[in-house]
This record gives sequence, C-alpha cells and structure tokens, in this order.
Amino acid sequence: MAWVALIFAGLFEMLGVTMINKLHRDRSVPAFLGIVGGFGVSFVLLSVAMQTLPMGTAYAVWTGIGAAGGAVMGMLFYKESADWKRIICIGVIIASAVGLKLVQG
Amino acid sequence: MNKDWIKIVTAALFEIGWVIGLKHASGFGEWGATILAIAASFYLLVTGSRYLPVGTAYAVFVGLGTTGTVIAEIVLFGEPFLWSKIIFILLLLSGVVGLKLVTDEKKEAEA
Repeated sequence: MAWVALIFAGLFEMLGVTMINKLHRDRSVPAFLGIVGGFGVSFVLLSVAMQTLPMGTAYAVWTGIGAAGGAVMGMLFYKESADWKRIICIGVIIASAVGLKLVQG
Repeated sequence: MNKDWIKIVTAALFEIGWVIGLKHASGFGEWGATILAIAASFYLLVTGSRYLPVGTAYAVFVGLGTTGTVIAEIVLFGEPFLWSKIIFILLLLSGVVGLKLVTDEKKEAEA
C-alpha cells in the first residue's frame, strides 16, 4: 500500500512539473491549479508512504519518478530538446540525487 | 539567460530551507517560515523556467536542493560524513554544470 502511494506521489509530481510547462504556454488558471494540486497531492501521498517506508528510500523513488518523468513529458509534449548530452546530464543529476537519498537512509 | 539560472539556484536554496523546516520546525514562527520558503521556492522555480526547458530546470532544482540538504544535515544536524555522499555530490554538480553548458550552447546556436 505504501508503495502504491509512493508511485502515485511520483506520478503527481510529474503532473505538477508538466503543468509548469502548460502554465508557460497558456498562462491559464487550470494550469496554475494543476501545479498547486499536483505537488499538493504528491506531498500528501509521499508523507503517507514515509510512515511505513524508510525516508531515504521513499524520497529517492519519489525524486526519480518525478524528475525523470517531468523531463520525459517535456521532451514528448513540449518540444524540449532531447539532445543526448542533455539526457545524459539529467540522468547523472537524478541518479546522484537518488543515490544521495539512499545513502542518507 | 543567467538571470533564469540564478532564479533556479535561489529556488533550490529555499528548498533546502523548507526541507529542513518540514523535518525540524516547531512553533508558529518556524512553520510560518517553512511555508513562506515553499511558496518562494516554487515561485522562483516557475518564473525561472519560463525561458529554460522545464525538465532541465526541475532536475537542477531537485539536484541542488538535495545536495544542500545533505550538506546541511552533516554540518548542522550531526548526520554522519560519508565519502559516498561527497562522490554523489560531485557527480551531481558535474551534471548541473554540464546541463548549463549544453543549454547555453543551444541558445547561442539558435540566436
């Protein structure tokens, strides 16, 4: 159950990041609400997951899904550069952040 | 261009503040400061990513926030110093510098 909450927390974070893209495109109220709602629901689900899972593990998975997912969504739907150098750099950052959170326990 | 990067870095600094706040805050003042830090960091993240790729900006935001939090936990809250943490931090920072170089290079090519 905690893992389901955690995966949905990551998906809502991804939604929040994607809504930032949408807000830049159309400056709309739904996009703004999407950012607040996406990150809001994401934080609630993350804290639910953290009640059972170790904090470092939960945080690492959450970051990984949200940041990688957000980058992929930007490349797929908002024409962000999918240049291999950019993908490698984003991958290195996310992998290191996940590593740091795991090491922290 | 550089103004946007400065906003993302500042957003990450506020992120360090609120992550510490969520964990350690007690009392009205500290919780108030934590909530203000959340608002400030997201405001800067959103306005700073207006001319930068959002996926890139978010990865930098999360990466620098994590780095700062890990360092703050070691320096301020007595978490153990581990070489593995330093290696991950150096790796992460090299990714941030790389992204900045790749992004600027692309802007210049378009200009």
